[in-house]
Amino acid sequence: MIRPLARRLVWALTTLIVVYVITFVMVVMVPGNPFQQSDRSMPIEVEHALRARYSMDNNWLYFWEFLGGAVRLDFGPSFTYNDWTCTQIVSQALPISAMIGVLAILFAVLVGVPLGVISAARRNSWLDVSIVSGVLIGISLPTFVSGVVLLTVFAVAWPILPIGGWGTIKHLPLPVITLSLPFIAYICRLTRSAMLDVLGSDYIRTALAKGVSPHQVIWTHALKVAFLPVLSYLGPATAQAVTGSFVVEKVFGVPGMGQHFVNAALNADAGLIMSTVLVFSVLLIFLNLAIDVLYAWLDPRIGLTI
Amino acid sequence: MPTSSTDNLILNRRSRWSRFRANRLAVAGLIVFVSILLIVIVTLPWTVHWYNVQSLDHAVRATPTAHPAVPYQAFNNALQDSRLISWPGLSRFIWQATSWMGHDDLGRSLFHRILPATLLSLIIGGCAAFVAVVLGSTWGATAALLGGRVDAVMMRMVDVLYSLPYILTVILMKVALTRPLSSLFDGHAIPANLLILVLAIGSVSWLTLARVVRGQVLSLRKQPFVEAARANGASTLYLLRHHILPNVAGPIVVYATLVVPQAILQESFLSFLGIGVQQPIPSLGRLAADGVEAVNAFVGFWWLIAFPCSALVVTLIALNFMGDGIRDALDPKSSQAPMI
Amino acid sequence: MTAFHPFTWVASALAVVVTYAYLNSTKEAPADFRYVNSSGIHTLDPARMSWTQDFRVALNIWEGLTTSDPRTTKPQAGAAIFPPLVSADQLTYIFTIREDARWSNGDPVLAGDFIRGWRRCMEPGTGTDYTFLFTDNLAGAADYVSWRRKAAGALTTLDRLRQGWEIDAQAAQSLAHHPVFEVIKPSLSLRSTIIDQHDNHSASLGLARQLNTSNLNWQALYQQTFDQHVAQMDQRFSNVGLEATDDKTLLVRLLRPCPYFLDLTSFPSFLPCHPSVELLREGDVDSGLTREGLVVYDPQWTKPRGIRNGYPGLITNGPYFVSDWKFKQRLRMSANPFHRMFDTLNVRTIDMLVYENTSVAIMAYEAGEVDFLPGMDVPYDHELARLSQTGQRRDFLMCDTFSTYFMSFNCKDERIEDRPNPFIDARVRKAFALAVDKEAIVHAVLQRGDRVATTFIPPGALTGYPSPVGSQMDIAAAKQLLIEAGYPQGQGLPTVTLLYVPSDERVCQALAGMWETHLGARVELRCQETKSFAESKANHRFMIARGNWYGDYYDPTTFLDCFNTGNGNNDSGYSNTAYDALLHRARVTTDIAQRLELLAQAERIIVEDDLPIIPLLHYASPIAVKPNVSGIFPNPRLRFPFRYVSVAR
Repeated sequence: MIRPLARRLVWALTTLIVVYVITFVMVVMVPGNPFQQSDRSMPIEVEHALRARYSMDNNWLYFWEFLGGAVRLDFGPSFTYNDWTCTQIVSQALPISAMIGVLAILFAVLVGVPLGVISAARRNSWLDVSIVSGVLIGISLPTFVSGVVLLTVFAVAWPILPIGGWGTIKHLPLPVITLSLPFIAYICRLTRSAMLDVLGSDYIRTALAKGVSPHQVIWTHALKVAFLPVLSYLGPATAQAVTGSFVVEKVFGVPGMGQHFVNAALNADAGLIMSTVLVFSVLLIFLNLAIDVLYAWLDPRIGLTI
Repeated sequence: MPTSSTDNLILNRRSRWSRFRANRLAVAGLIVFVSILLIVIVTLPWTVHWYNVQSLDHAVRATPTAHPAVPYQAFNNALQDSRLISWPGLSRFIWQATSWMGHDDLGRSLFHRILPATLLSLIIGGCAAFVAVVLGSTWGATAALLGGRVDAVMMRMVDVLYSLPYILTVILMKVALTRPLSSLFDGHAIPANLLILVLAIGSVSWLTLARVVRGQVLSLRKQPFVEAARANGASTLYLLRHHILPNVAGPIVVYATLVVPQAILQESFLSFLGIGVQQPIPSLGRLAADGVEAVNAFVGFWWLIAFPCSALVVTLIALNFMGDGIRDALDPKSSQAPMI
Repeated sequence: MTAFHPFTWVASALAVVVTYAYLNSTKEAPADFRYVNSSGIHTLDPARMSWTQDFRVALNIWEGLTTSDPRTTKPQAGAAIFPPLVSADQLTYIFTIREDARWSNGDPVLAGDFIRGWRRCMEPGTGTDYTFLFTDNLAGAADYVSWRRKAAGALTTLDRLRQGWEIDAQAAQSLAHHPVFEVIKPSLSLRSTIIDQHDNHSASLGLARQLNTSNLNWQALYQQTFDQHVAQMDQRFSNVGLEATDDKTLLVRLLRPCPYFLDLTSFPSFLPCHPSVELLREGDVDSGLTREGLVVYDPQWTKPRGIRNGYPGLITNGPYFVSDWKFKQRLRMSANPFHRMFDTLNVRTIDMLVYENTSVAIMAYEAGEVDFLPGMDVPYDHELARLSQTGQRRDFLMCDTFSTYFMSFNCKDERIEDRPNPFIDARVRKAFALAVDKEAIVHAVLQRGDRVATTFIPPGALTGYPSPVGSQMDIAAAKQLLIEAGYPQGQGLPTVTLLYVPSDERVCQALAGMWETHLGARVELRCQETKSFAESKANHRFMIARGNWYGDYYDPTTFLDCFNTGNGNNDSGYSNTAYDALLHRARVTTDIAQRLELLAQAERIIVEDDLPIIPLLHYASPIAVKPNVSGIFPNPRLRFPFRYVSVAR
């Protein structure tokens, strides 16, 4: 277990560095003067001097300086939001997105898995058809539509929740539910198809033949196996949910991370682009690693592979 | 287990079709999809001229009614520009339909925007899926066939690309590619913009397929019939053509049908960000995003959100049902589960 | 059940997180007054600001020599006694700072604090968009700023050279404009001895190559240049017309009579700055300059709490100070106990909340979560305007702003993206302008109560200014002009590109429709995100582009300077010697009426004859103020001083 884990860690680090290089190249390719605040033009000497001040006149220098800073968790200044460093921006936004994301994922598991199990167990019944259709609507409806619908229903038409913002526990339900809808749908789908596979296998037939109650077969024996694909999906899903969703943040006015992925790219804010990408990649790589360790522990036959 | 015998393939094809037919949801999906496709293609000669007919005087954001507010003449003028022989009966009927779904903020008939929008969304989805399939299957198959170091490096590259946030990749690609590509099209922004959109969406969707195809090819390589062919001195190209490609076609088709709706959804997300399809060309995502922006506490512009979203949801559900049906038909294992 | 049961885990994890969220939720009381800022603050540094929403905060937490009247935004008393002493030739202003003017930590406000604040706007590195307000008006400021900028460019290049980095053409050019180049020149073999600003790229590239391979002692050269520059700085700055004759007296010398100077002193660029900011100055300790010759402060100086060097956090002199600032979430202002109005302030705390989505902000306003919306830019704003105009919603007010929304033509480039540019011909520009039905755009497309614009400067906004008539829609004349220009019925016109940002969607589609129907032109719409748009415009990759302009001060020149040849904001590349001459004459004229007459003549050229732009409308900006809030008045510059606000609860 230790050796493969060490190998995985080395590999994670390599991946991170490659991700950094790719992002850096993309950022350098994006046109525009990052110091320009509005439409008004800037004297050429000043732009030149400012670029030099932030090592942005030389790509190599910038590459190493940013990397050096990133190792010390200092991502440098943001050029769109002058008064904030990228580290401050990320450290204020990430906990908020993480809170919503973790809740959304837990909620999605809690709802999606049972729906998938029921749907598989009652295959082709009206229940199955309605669950499958509901799930497909969940997948097909863009979040910006479902979010606005939830907002109009629960905050405007029937005002039990606040419109938007952040700070109290009442601000949580709408963003969490909106964010979890596509995850519920996907998890339900995964569980259903995994469950169908498992239920078709011999040992379930044996268990049923032996007289174990169908209820117990489904909810313990079968689910134990069928949960594994869901588990491996949870790694990337959690990384995605935790780093925020632009749509949910825009619709509900949540000051999370998701907006920065979009705004940084649109504003060509080099430092912010790279810091958000690095945070996302670190989360994704290590969550995946954690899930794989968990996997290996739950199912020792698989073991930890690179 | 898949075989390469011709007889078996036909038999398989037949049984697959019958399995697909047995799946009522899949058949319903197919029927809905085909009818949508038929409607949007048949009406295209009209809608392609009418989708941008504005009526700033009469019908700005008019509610759906049965009576068109804009005179037929306005639409007929737009048609006369084209060499197309209009069929008066049908064009009058389609004109009648202008008001069924209300009008948008420039007084354009929503009906005439939704129809070509659906087609455009399907085209974007299809092209993006095509890009993803070509990239993904080539990448996966090459990795598996070459094996060894090359395989390891290629798959590691897929891992790395997985750890990039896709939305950022799409936006950066769009920002960086817009200028070079528009100069390729003589400065015409619309085709360049569509191409970038397709490339951007396609290039973030191929990763999973590369993994799937690689896995399939690796397991096929160990199959007795492939090993036998190789022992008989078949070249890699021959193996690929006659044994491997026919057998990985199934998973590729399944994956492609699932990428199409995903790509359509991603385009709608980009439209919400304001970097999707260029106006005045409509796409379903663009229309839905416009509708969502008009939601407010004072006037209910319900039709601006209800109709585009219904069109989007119906199209995507039909595609998804079809995709599920195809998957079940190609992968019979899952239908053997006992009913409990 | 067996040991493994995922639901128990998941459910308990959910419970834990929800409890954590509950314990973490803020129990702080809401502020007395809450308003929405749709996109958050770009910066709180007055020297770097260029957005109305940033100005709004700045003018509430700082106080300039003058402040704005809440109704008319005309200058009134501020930190200095009003009115100041003005010399007979109108070139010298003497401001006396009030005895009771104090910073939020109790320190008295001194004349030197104003010099510090103003100087920050001039120095390269801290000052950005509004440096021109100083260089255009203050005696000696233009010389100082240009001297500093050139030095920064040259020092940057020398610094790169001494470190052995390759320099590029642009860097070489920066060096060539500085006197130190005379020292370098003998050691280079240059074919052309003069390299000026508009020199071609290949010459600078050749120069860069020579500099890169030259084996001059760059280290010594850099040090010498830097030391010389630092030694001269104070003496150079003393030539700028700014002087603190004593602690409380500020003497300002102007370049020329400037009838709007008092108005300028209420602008955010003219705010004072507390000395504690020097604790966060970066760069060389002795000189206070960075290696590049820039003046740079740690941008963290605008934070309410200090971070290092014993910095006490942002200290301001306005009626409020920033007590808390959460990024893109909330900025809280509290009453400044040392301000003279402290006892009369009805609103003690103000929250600036961020709602990225204006529709959601309006819903929050309707639900009573917010008291004031300073802007309601939404796709259904015509409905808000209707509710306001019909009197159904008395809390929706319309501000007729000092601004113009227009389309500008590219008047300069012969070819754009391999297509000939028809708009270098004024007749074509005029034809396109005359074919626009502005009434339809204002009353049918937008329907939000904007005023139709026929001129560039909003008529009636400036007292005594004789606005020209401008041009009206005239399809027949437009067609005739096109025939004269050689494009009958639009034949031979290349496809015209119209560049805009997403918020212009409706207007631009309508415009394209009008040009297609009336002129037979083919129009290609090109919508770009703000940053790409700015880039395309700056590089002249457009034929027609959207533009808008908000007047910064009450004088025609804030608009008209945009079309001066070579002005940084002259996007259309328009150049007309007659126009430039009129502006120049107005600049040196002391008689007020005659000056305005000359400016009106200049405006007539751009709105009646040459038409580098099509003025479309003057924005009407809707605001929403809860009925229990008083003291907020619609005004043309969207400045809302909160010191006059009171909220009845």
